[in-house]
Amino acid sequence: MSSVEDILAAENELTHLLGAQQAVVLSTRIRLARNLEGMPFPGWAKVPQRKEIADRCVEALDALPKFRRGHVLRMGELGDRDRAVLVERHLVSKELAAGKSGAAVISRDQTCSVMVNEEDHLRIQVVKAGWHLRGTWHIAEQLDDALGGTLKLAFSDRLGYLTACPTNVGTGLRASAMVHLPGLCLAGHMDKVSRALNQDGLAVRGWLGEGTEAAGNVFQISNQQTLGLSEESILKHLGGWIKNVVEQEWNARRKLAQEEGEKFVDRLARSLGVLRSARLLTSSEAMNMLSHLRLACDMGCLPEERRHLVDRLMIEGQPAHVQARAGQELDSDGRDSRRAAVVREALKDFPEVVPPTA
Amino acid sequence: MSQPIKCSLCEEAATVHLSQVVHGNVTKVHLCETCAQKGGATDPAVFQLADALTTASPAPTLTCPKCGFTDIDFRKRGRLGCPDCWETFGDALGGLLLKVQHEASHVGRAPAGTLPAGQLRRRLNDARFEMEKAITGEDYEAAARLRDEITDLEQQLANS
Repeated sequence: MSSVEDILAAENELTHLLGAQQAVVLSTRIRLARNLEGMPFPGWAKVPQRKEIADRCVEALDALPKFRRGHVLRMGELGDRDRAVLVERHLVSKELAAGKSGAAVISRDQTCSVMVNEEDHLRIQVVKAGWHLRGTWHIAEQLDDALGGTLKLAFSDRLGYLTACPTNVGTGLRASAMVHLPGLCLAGHMDKVSRALNQDGLAVRGWLGEGTEAAGNVFQISNQQTLGLSEESILKHLGGWIKNVVEQEWNARRKLAQEEGEKFVDRLARSLGVLRSARLLTSSEAMNMLSHLRLACDMGCLPEERRHLVDRLMIEGQPAHVQARAGQELDSDGRDSRRAAVVREALKDFPEVVPPTA
Repeated sequence: MSQPIKCSLCEEAATVHLSQVVHGNVTKVHLCETCAQKGGATDPAVFQLADALTTASPAPTLTCPKCGFTDIDFRKRGRLGCPDCWETFGDALGGLLLKVQHEASHVGRAPAGTLPAGQLRRRLNDARFEMEKAITGEDYEAAARLRDEITDLEQQLANS
């Protein structure tokens, strides 16, 4: 079994753990950019240097208790589909997957993944299901300390952690929340919210990060500035805004449910109906209808304990996941048909949508 | 035998050729399929890319002694060459840093391997930041207290 198949087969917090999921916030993520002292950044390094960087970083990571029985994946040794699966799971970025000299070291429970030779030598990532900013930060901080103990990291008193891009220098910290905002989208308030966040130093992106669409009303909200602010103030700033956005989202949902009445329930019920019987489902169609199902679980229109299944389908309904599960390359129609089959099977014993209780 | 034209951004063979005419001056950019797609060949931004490539012909004024990276490379890539580049380009990047960042100096963690100096540095950074804030807020009593703390921390750091 390849390591990627192993990752797909393993039950993890984001796709399986009952009770870890929360309304509105899908997951919390911390990313730290770090570099080795005295080595050129990956984008400027020659091939042998990149190899040396990868070897040194992977060796140091592999020795950490956090990665015991984890996965070491070298991008150059993986097929296209395996790399796409890792991107869809947010375990590696598109940029890392596109190059040959990148590697990813992933913890057994898939909460920690470190990208090696992406834009920086090391990109430490920690992801937890639901909203757990402090806990997630704490794990990242420990990993950072452990790595700083074995590797000499590039650091300057004046500029902090030195990175390839001026937008990451200083703390190298990108803290983010993946949020599901169907209420604000349906009410047409998302542009306004986005603008307010942008003006206060936060970036709003789509489901797969930079330059992607917000399929399924899922957005990633993260800090933009990394220099001149302590980790503590970055986390506080993001935390305050997420709390605010979650509140606004609930207000929008309640208002919609109240004003629309039967129409609101009908929308959710129709999505369940289509998902339960469609023979062909495109990726974005599935995402948008699953978004309605997640909303239904949050609002008490469907049992809350089904929410993790909706989250799993959002991840496993993506193109590379569908093909990986089928064990073969599929053309677009083939994928749509297979996706529909997976969704039908998963939803076959879902109860009917009822009026909201939340 | 003629060599295939190489991509202006990487070493791949170029398959997309762009020409731009501005006031009678023709500039040409050759891109491989990947780079063309990355830049979005249908996108007007590609022409900005073309500008960046073609106006970047003057000799570099700054070069990193460690890795050979120049200010022209930075203009093309928007990324630096190595950690030591920050020494060379730090001052030149000051304006950009102030534009994209909160402030131009670090406040926050230091590598754990450098403890206890790292811890001291962290506290020193925090104290400096707090002092600035106190001065801006005209809280001179707090600023004086922080100044003493900073002197003390600097002393400890020098001795560690």
